[in-house]
Amino acid sequence: MDRAFQRTKVLTGHLLQSPPTSSFQTPSLSSNACLNYSPPELSEKYAFDINDMRKLMDGHDLEERDRLFGMITQSKVFNPRVRGGKVFVSPDYNQSMEQQREMTWKRIEYLFERGVFQGWLTGEGEEVEMRRFACFEVLGLFDHSISIKLGVHFFLWGGAIQFFGTKHHHDKWLRDTENYLIKGCFAMTELGHGSNVRGIETITTYDSNTGEFVINTPCESAQKYWIGGAANHATHTIVFSQLNINGTNQGVHALIAQIRDADGNVCPNIRIADCGHKIGLNGVDNGRIWFDNVRVPRENLLNSVADVSPDGKYLSAIKDPDQRFAAFLAPLTAGRVNIAVNAVYQSKVGLAIAIRYALTRRAFSLKPKEPEVLLLDYPSHQRRLLPLLAKTYAMSFGANYLKMLYVKRTPQSNKIIHVISSSFKATFTWSNMQILQECREACGGQGLKTENRVGHLKAEHDVQSTFEGDNNILMQQVSKALFAEYMAAQKPNKAFKGLGLEHMNKPCPVIPSRLTTTTLRCSQFQMDVLCLRERDLLNRFVAEVSQCQAKGESKEHAFIMSYQLAEDLGKAFSDRAILQTFVEAEATLAACSLKDVLGMLRSLYALNCLEDGAYLRYGYLSVENAATVRREITKICSELRPHALALVSSFGIPDAFLSPIAFNWIDANSWSSAQH
Amino acid sequence: MSSSVSSQHDQVLVEENSFARILTLNRPKQLNALSFQMISRLLELFLAYEEDPNVKLVILKGKGRAFCAGGDVVAVVHDIWAGGWRAGANFFMKEFSLNYLMATYSKPQVSILNGIVMGGGNGVSMHGRFRVATENSVFAMPETALGLFPDVGASYFLSRLPGFFGEYVGLTGARLDGAEMLACGLATHFVPSAKLPMVEAALCDADSSDPVIISSIIDQYCEKPSLKEQTVYNRLDVIDRCFSQRTVEEILSALEREVVDQRDGWIFATIQTLKKASPTSLKISLRSIRVGRVQGVGACLAREYRMVCHVMRGEFSKDFFEGCRAMLLDKDKNPKWEPSKLEHIADTTIDRYFSKVKDEDWEDLKPPTRSKFNLPPYVIAKL
Repeated sequence: MDRAFQRTKVLTGHLLQSPPTSSFQTPSLSSNACLNYSPPELSEKYAFDINDMRKLMDGHDLEERDRLFGMITQSKVFNPRVRGGKVFVSPDYNQSMEQQREMTWKRIEYLFERGVFQGWLTGEGEEVEMRRFACFEVLGLFDHSISIKLGVHFFLWGGAIQFFGTKHHHDKWLRDTENYLIKGCFAMTELGHGSNVRGIETITTYDSNTGEFVINTPCESAQKYWIGGAANHATHTIVFSQLNINGTNQGVHALIAQIRDADGNVCPNIRIADCGHKIGLNGVDNGRIWFDNVRVPRENLLNSVADVSPDGKYLSAIKDPDQRFAAFLAPLTAGRVNIAVNAVYQSKVGLAIAIRYALTRRAFSLKPKEPEVLLLDYPSHQRRLLPLLAKTYAMSFGANYLKMLYVKRTPQSNKIIHVISSSFKATFTWSNMQILQECREACGGQGLKTENRVGHLKAEHDVQSTFEGDNNILMQQVSKALFAEYMAAQKPNKAFKGLGLEHMNKPCPVIPSRLTTTTLRCSQFQMDVLCLRERDLLNRFVAEVSQCQAKGESKEHAFIMSYQLAEDLGKAFSDRAILQTFVEAEATLAACSLKDVLGMLRSLYALNCLEDGAYLRYGYLSVENAATVRREITKICSELRPHALALVSSFGIPDAFLSPIAFNWIDANSWSSAQH
Repeated sequence: MSSSVSSQHDQVLVEENSFARILTLNRPKQLNALSFQMISRLLELFLAYEEDPNVKLVILKGKGRAFCAGGDVVAVVHDIWAGGWRAGANFFMKEFSLNYLMATYSKPQVSILNGIVMGGGNGVSMHGRFRVATENSVFAMPETALGLFPDVGASYFLSRLPGFFGEYVGLTGARLDGAEMLACGLATHFVPSAKLPMVEAALCDADSSDPVIISSIIDQYCEKPSLKEQTVYNRLDVIDRCFSQRTVEEILSALEREVVDQRDGWIFATIQTLKKASPTSLKISLRSIRVGRVQGVGACLAREYRMVCHVMRGEFSKDFFEGCRAMLLDKDKNPKWEPSKLEHIADTTIDRYFSKVKDEDWEDLKPPTRSKFNLPPYVIAKL
């Protein structure tokens, strides 16, 4: 009866919506029992210089990055909002798709007016390209839509003109593109063909009477699909189509076509429709395009690879249609590098937020009246987040290596860039989704709020595993490339060279029968054990494919049938290649506390790779050793725990680009802050 | 019931009330320029008040027509001549520690800026919770004309002004009046000077450290000042376009482009000011404000301490001594900067101002530890 009365009183209080009066409060509910936010900086110590670590992570153009960070936080266009006494910048994802698109464009205009894009297409050299990467990384930390919208204009449209065009295209288009006098897009994908670009159905013929090409969309499955920028803004596009000259199909070629006039009206013979609302990335206006006898001048063929003479003769320097086609995919490499690098930065945002939250949020006391335990002091929480932190560090070194590989490219290195960028793009974007999901869950209910970013970033970046090369297809290509390397190395007087496969020339590494802490933390052992898996899987893959071929099946069929080994091999290659970049980066440092912490991260990354099912499936590790590895992982996690804050602070992401739960989440959620 | 506990000769006058402490900077002839003695005294008082449960808030003001015209740079220069650069470093170490203490203070500080507030004067006011401007307020950070750079945590508070106003104010040393200070957020309140005694009396009666309550007390005496017709605050678009540029050289050429577009006295004067300032100062100041944008107040002060030590050592440039000679000692207003041109200064030279000082006994600034206090949210947000 007492209980019922008490309950009625409580309910009445709720219904009357009056603030609780003191008569309702029992002594244990007095104000000193309230939780206080204490910034993690006050209790955590930095064992190394986080600026030095940031230099190592970001690698280049730190000043340029900070300038751009500043430019974003200082402008109303980037939607600054105050929460818990701090300013946060992030798009308003509650806006309609149309509003988000408009804001993305306004932000680009703002940056353009301040000269951010100067030299992005007209400048030359490694420095310009690295600076461009840095800007992209910063903008990507603000919002995926703005970086994709810029990526389409500069890397796909601009890149296609740079790579496929010749001097007169460069002169005519690059400066105007950089100055946004025109807005470009890139029409490759069709409704019926995505990854298989060679199968696209759009057709271009040549009319020698007028000296024009004529572009057509012959059927609904040939409509261009997902074309970023096409729905609202783009004035020009690169069109990929089958080039049919005098009845002979010469394969896929690229031309320039105008799709809108300067006032934004769609050009005659062009039809454009919207792709509609998406699960994320709604600040990008993806559209669909149909071509109805669209005529473009002969000069609009991007002719670095092949040309058509005024009288309609097909001319090409590359005779082999396979190679000709491969040359057309070059600009996608730059996009892939960007995506891979961007994925790592998103993981950094997720981890910085989740770890900062875990350093300030408590749950459950071990004994009555004791303070509750910090989330990150739970070994289980460490085990969830810290291996992902180690992986993000590893991927960061991988990303820096990939960027250097790209900017120092030569015709000879094209194959390596293709394989590494495919492998890293797939691995980093998949990892990113996994990391963001774990971080979201680690933030509990707070992770569900859009303003806290982590959960929302999943939707924004889901597309990364699909665009610019479907991850599964990219990984298949990696395995196929490794197969080809293997075959080439079997020829007399040939050995493995490049892609880090040199270890295949050496005798097979031996794994000690009993693993100890010392062994497990030794980089040589870690390399050996990852090489062992790669080596064995490559041998198995080649054997299985050859066996299938021996039965009279085609190589293509054999690849399709050996998909499981192909997947395992692709993963083994990526893990090993990433570890290698980590080890190389570490080797450049003199002994110091920073290097010690990196060593722990490297060990955690490597040992976590050993948790892959392949190690037990193929017997590289005994059951006992697998258990030892597992124990060692928890040990390293607890050793890294004191460095957690320093490690996420070293990401160099300004507070404004994180979210309210990364800071004073109590104040950010106070009653008074809800009143305005 | 106030009781005076200091003599008229003290450089800091202390007035104790039941809940408030009123500190008055008392070197009116020197426009209350901060001496080492004043800084030490303020540090001592602020530390004591934080521990004293009877003190709820601290009011800081200046005697005479200035709040505070800055650090006593002339004394610092004499000290360096007499005792080497370390004497100067000591001064700044103490001053920046005071700035950090104020920035992270657990009780509200109300600074009454009824007059000149420049350089170091901003260091002892802008970091506090409330800054009250009046019709007599004159704000400036004029360090680049002295061969120094906006220090005392300016890379924190200037970089947080709207758009690129902070770069403009920090590089040109532009003067702002009370209305402009309020508009850009340097001041939190504007009270006509005639009403100041009433504000003080009301604050002394407030038995609270709650910033919301303190703010509403000051609000009762506030007026909404109107910006003067020619205010720079209406030039924010031009300021944003020009001062967002990457380098000082690019800022200058952006300003020069604007002059061509519109014959404008203000832009012309801005260009002239920049051309008169120390080129080295301009470059390190710009870098400092840019980096400051993404740092907490502690990191800002630590970086500025490194920079100021390099300036004192005069290893890369002696502009600070030349600036003090020309502006404060000989007063010929004609400093000979060395290097004399922006293009003569390599980025690597600028980098060195931000590096650790290579001297065995030198240490980075270690601001007072703050963890033992239960910091209010507005302080936590600054860390």
